[in-house]
Amino acid sequence: MVIQVENLSKIYRINQKTPGLGGALKSLFRPQYLDKVAVDGISFEVGQGEIVGYIGVNGAGKSTTIKMLTGILAPTTGSVRVLGRDPHQERVANAREIGAVFGQRTQLWWDLALIESLNMIGKLYDLPPAHYRDQLARFTEMLDLGEILHIPIRNMSLGQKMRAELAATLIHDPKVVYLDEPTIGLDLMVKEKIRAFIKQENRERGITVVLTTHDLGDIEELCQRVIMIDMGKVIYDGALQTIRDRFGKYRTITLELSAMLGTGDLDLLDDTEIEAIDGHKWRIRFDRTRTSASKVAAHVMNQVDVNDFSLTEPDLTGIVKQIYQGALNDIKVSTGELAQVTV
Amino acid sequence: MTHYLSLYGLFLRQRFKILMEYRMNFLIGATSTIILQGASLLTITVVMSQIPHLNGWTLEAIFLIYGLITLAKSINHMFADNLWTIGGQYIRTGMFDRFLVRPVDPLFHLLADRFCHDGIGNFLVGSALVAYAWHALAIPLTVFNLIYLIVMVISGGLIFIALNLITAVSAFWVIESVPVTRAIFDNHLFAQYPLTIYPQAIGILLTWVIPYGFASFYPASYLLGQEVGLLAFLSPIVAIVLLSLSYRFWRFGLRHYAGTGS
Amino acid sequence: MNTLILRRHWRAFAGIAEMTPKFFLAYRAWVWLAFFSQGLSMTIFLFFWRAVYENTDQIGGLNLDQTLTYVLLAQVISLSVWTNVVSNMGHMVREGQIGVEFLRPIDFQWAQYLGGISQLAISLLLNLPLLGLALLYGAQLPTDVRVWIAFLVSLFLGYTVIFLFDWCIACLVFYTTEVWGLMVFLTGVSAFFSGVLIPLVMMPTWLQTIAAALPFSQVVFVPVGLLSGTIPLTEAPARWLTQLIWVIGLAIVSRICFQIASRKVTVQGG
Repeated sequence: MVIQVENLSKIYRINQKTPGLGGALKSLFRPQYLDKVAVDGISFEVGQGEIVGYIGVNGAGKSTTIKMLTGILAPTTGSVRVLGRDPHQERVANAREIGAVFGQRTQLWWDLALIESLNMIGKLYDLPPAHYRDQLARFTEMLDLGEILHIPIRNMSLGQKMRAELAATLIHDPKVVYLDEPTIGLDLMVKEKIRAFIKQENRERGITVVLTTHDLGDIEELCQRVIMIDMGKVIYDGALQTIRDRFGKYRTITLELSAMLGTGDLDLLDDTEIEAIDGHKWRIRFDRTRTSASKVAAHVMNQVDVNDFSLTEPDLTGIVKQIYQGALNDIKVSTGELAQVTV
Repeated sequence: MTHYLSLYGLFLRQRFKILMEYRMNFLIGATSTIILQGASLLTITVVMSQIPHLNGWTLEAIFLIYGLITLAKSINHMFADNLWTIGGQYIRTGMFDRFLVRPVDPLFHLLADRFCHDGIGNFLVGSALVAYAWHALAIPLTVFNLIYLIVMVISGGLIFIALNLITAVSAFWVIESVPVTRAIFDNHLFAQYPLTIYPQAIGILLTWVIPYGFASFYPASYLLGQEVGLLAFLSPIVAIVLLSLSYRFWRFGLRHYAGTGS
Repeated sequence: MNTLILRRHWRAFAGIAEMTPKFFLAYRAWVWLAFFSQGLSMTIFLFFWRAVYENTDQIGGLNLDQTLTYVLLAQVISLSVWTNVVSNMGHMVREGQIGVEFLRPIDFQWAQYLGGISQLAISLLLNLPLLGLALLYGAQLPTDVRVWIAFLVSLFLGYTVIFLFDWCIACLVFYTTEVWGLMVFLTGVSAFFSGVLIPLVMMPTWLQTIAAALPFSQVVFVPVGLLSGTIPLTEAPARWLTQLIWVIGLAIVSRICFQIASRKVTVQGG
């Protein structure tokens, strides 16, 4: 196993401060602490070459876990092993073998051309020059760096920055890579390129990837396995397929009709439910394994004039919430928490 | 060690590349301290021209003291300026976490990350003052004296760095460490003048508690042939002791950071 | 001025005045630090001047008590008298805020000036604890009410001089982003020629001539000189007149400068 997490907890002690100098002095001599459990006894293992989606809502404990996996934070209780090492106790040895992308924070030097930043990182990791050159040539091709190698980071677009960031993170050939929101804010083309790159590195170099993201597309394209965390606890650990089967099953069509209708006025197919938003707007929920969006829509359009309609897919944040509420057993999907995808 | 040295060289080269891109900023920054120090030095000159000596110290002797503390300060300013900004620029922004996932010492990384050109002005002012005073006071230019001078200046610089490091560690608790650092750092201003003009308590403070006196007054006294005994040679030891204490405290702060993540 | 305009101005004034202490409280640690740093400087000044007067009774016609009174009061007051017109303007131009300011129903320069005056008043009040330290160190405050009036009038006029001077410098931010180099230079020049460090009467005459040709002494040496007795009360009217001439001259120059400089914004559309 590349990553072994056992009964891992992180409790922050927050010094309760009262404002003002008096308060500052008081908290200096008689500090009042509040314990905040950020990670609450989680356990999981990640094997070599796996790409795992580590997901949860903001504040669920994702980044605290990643910080413990990378060695930045020490666990309060429990243990972390990465490649057989304690990442905090053996921070430097661990750092040599891992790479990390932390969202929008760049690890590159703002004013330096990309090639100079990469050179410096190569030196920081003490890479043999020949190996460094190979890696650079490889990444230049795969990530299309040729045109941006001589541009300072400050002049790059978001997509260019993320490609540069990935190169900087993987240049020292890490065995484990932590990617925190690697596609956030990027357009579809760049997203595709980045996903393809991660996939290829994983396939060819056997790197293990832990990916935190809010983007369902990232997960669907990259991960076979998903670990969900909420309020510091693992609430789901398993195949992506299971989630997709359970939650991807339901879709919602929202219709805008030209005429006012009552609930009983429409004839519906089996396996669908209808709900009125107002007299003009209607929501139809259906099981996509039994019927299809076009069938449902056609059936309605045969009866009434439809001005507009849109198809809604469940998004991860909503799913996490439902799973936390025990929805994995109870497959009722609440449409209120679904994001809209207009067709 | 050689790895760190070559890394530092690389950081320095890259930093200068950036500085040269903003040439005007570089020039202004590097000379700004000269102008500000100039105002103080002119004032001292004006005052001293109207009295024979200050508590037994001539203008040139005061320049020597002032020059030594300025040189020591410039070492800190050039090579350890990031200790001022650790809270706002590194911890608050999460940049410090980046250092912690790299296979080098985070303190080294922090210091190497930014050579501060603003310190060059202080270095020039300090050098000019010491050179002028050295000449005017006819201090013998022996090999021993030169080595003594270099050792004292480096020790003085390390004392500055150590004191800034100890206070910068507070950033791991309160993030913004500048007020704490400043409160200790400002005491170096006492050491711009002969410690003999102050009450004994201040002399003791500047010798044994916040030992900036070892960066200026004691070496200057020795070079001028004044009797200060062993204190004339204590600066390197004070520097090393203080530095190792501050590094331990830094490690302690790091452990706290790993516990709380701030 | 009719009451409506007066009230509007007062509101602008009060609004800024309300914000400023909040700003100070938010940075409480910084306020304590400023006290500490200034107290430390004052301590150094105290012992430096005591050592200076070991060998002489008088420098530039001043004895130790007079010099200490001047120097310590200068340290307390000079903390408050500098404006941040240049950095404010630079910020507004960079952020494109300046266009919005032009739309307000109150003259831009006048609004900034009122803000500056209220900041001066608040800052003087906030620095009162340092006055306590100055007294502890031997500074003597005048008992004659007329001296206080002379001081306040000249401080007010002197601040106006510096505000208008800075306003002229601030016009440069419309043309270049490198104004801070000039600011650093001016800070150095003003540190020497304003009288923050020594009473200007201690300088050789040729330096005093230069100091008189620069605006900086109007806001430190003149008011502090009057307050400490370094400048006799009888000279007050003449000093005020000089300050008034500075004010009128700089007011005209600053208006013209700003007129020309701000055209750049209107042309570029902010």
